[in-house]
Amino acid sequence: MQGRRGSPLTLYRAARVSELSGVHWIRRSDENNTEAQLIHRKKNDEIIHDHNNDGIDRRGFLKCMAWVGTGTLCVIQGGVLKSYALSRLPGMTAKEAMGEVSFVQISDSHMGFNKPANPDVAATLKVAVDKINALPTAPEFMLHTGDISHLSKPEEFDTVDQILKAAKPKNVFFVPGEHDVLNDDGKQYLERYGKGTKGSGWYSFDKKGVHFIGLVNVMNLKAGGLGTLGHGQLEWLEDDVKHLKSSTPIVVFAHIPLWSVYPEWGWGTDDSAQALAYLKKFGSVTVLNGHIHQTLQKVEGKVTFHTAASTAFPQPQPGKADSPGPMKVPADQLRSVLGITDVNYVQGQQALAVVDSTLA
Amino acid sequence: MRRSVSIAGLAAILMLGMAGLGIGQKSSIAVAQDKASTVEVKIDNFSFGPASLTVAVGTTVTWTNRDDIPHTVVSTDDPKTFKSKVLDTDEKFSYTFSKAGTYPYFCSIHPKMTGKVIVQ
Repeated sequence: MQGRRGSPLTLYRAARVSELSGVHWIRRSDENNTEAQLIHRKKNDEIIHDHNNDGIDRRGFLKCMAWVGTGTLCVIQGGVLKSYALSRLPGMTAKEAMGEVSFVQISDSHMGFNKPANPDVAATLKVAVDKINALPTAPEFMLHTGDISHLSKPEEFDTVDQILKAAKPKNVFFVPGEHDVLNDDGKQYLERYGKGTKGSGWYSFDKKGVHFIGLVNVMNLKAGGLGTLGHGQLEWLEDDVKHLKSSTPIVVFAHIPLWSVYPEWGWGTDDSAQALAYLKKFGSVTVLNGHIHQTLQKVEGKVTFHTAASTAFPQPQPGKADSPGPMKVPADQLRSVLGITDVNYVQGQQALAVVDSTLA
Repeated sequence: MRRSVSIAGLAAILMLGMAGLGIGQKSSIAVAQDKASTVEVKIDNFSFGPASLTVAVGTTVTWTNRDDIPHTVVSTDDPKTFKSKVLDTDEKFSYTFSKAGTYPYFCSIHPKMTGKVIVQ
């Protein structure tokens, strides 16, 4: 993936044109190569981008991008650039009448980590909470996509719980990361966050017509393998969605990406294809993951995959370093590579609007 | 007078008791300590170095985590021959291989990290 390392990640938005099905933009990655387009937009609305050498007419693309601020959707499908006028989301009153669902995803707080990449992860988590509290519309609830703690220590979980108490959204839905289930096969995680869940902590719930599914793919990892869901969980998932109407918007959240971001670094899930097969009938599926400590997005038909930034420390882009460890950036840039994700769903619109913002 | 007698008596009882318990006696057990060799494996950059290690029976292998992320050392067999606790930076885990064989292992947190110890 091309992009300037260390440069501030800023906002990029995904919204859907109502007359189209499954069209999003942000980053399209080629099936066979992990190079993807990365669009940066500086705070003063100047647009900069890098893109791969795939024959796209640069001028046409630039012109399209220039309209982004005023509401144009730009998509590159099979190397062809298409632009669509972006329908504005319904105004506030309409939103309220329709019962909008809004929530925030945070991830990878790694409470207990204290190395140079970020000596104070509690402080950056607090900044994330402040950021959430400053959102124009208070989110109804939060999703934490795992690696809550760094070493599965009780005091680490306690600290996160305490910091999150200051957030306006009082309900937090968790899924574990591999750092949360060390030493005890996830027993402590389940005691703290497993109420109402099945197996190693999977569950589903509904909010205003959107069906949320929390999956666990960090247990029973096999040598040389990736994340894994396992037979029991897959059976449960098949059953869980069987009777839902295909028009039900689905949000799946799990720690390790459910798509192959970079298998060499373990950034993928062995048996996610089976899970996605059970969701094939739905018109809108949003998959929210963490684990890789950077925002990446991929669209495949009606499924949008999105990974969140960490609130603790960034990690290198796929293949851009020897290993996927904590990436040190100059101290004054740290907050610009950490972030939160704001997600909004308006009934009547099929896909969810996903907006990432940094802590800077 | 009475006091010193009782103290002496108390001391006598104590000494008898201690003798019975063997406390204060110099007990030396001669232990034949074999100077068994130790081999180091360094964990760094999400990898075990060396990834493949050949040692003699009776060797102790010590893994040291030099990475800035925690790792574990877990054998892949079932039941597990060895399984470390979570090793944070600079923490160590040792295992003495008393039986010949090949012992593949991995990091249970980052399963792409694999290694093996061949004991001959």
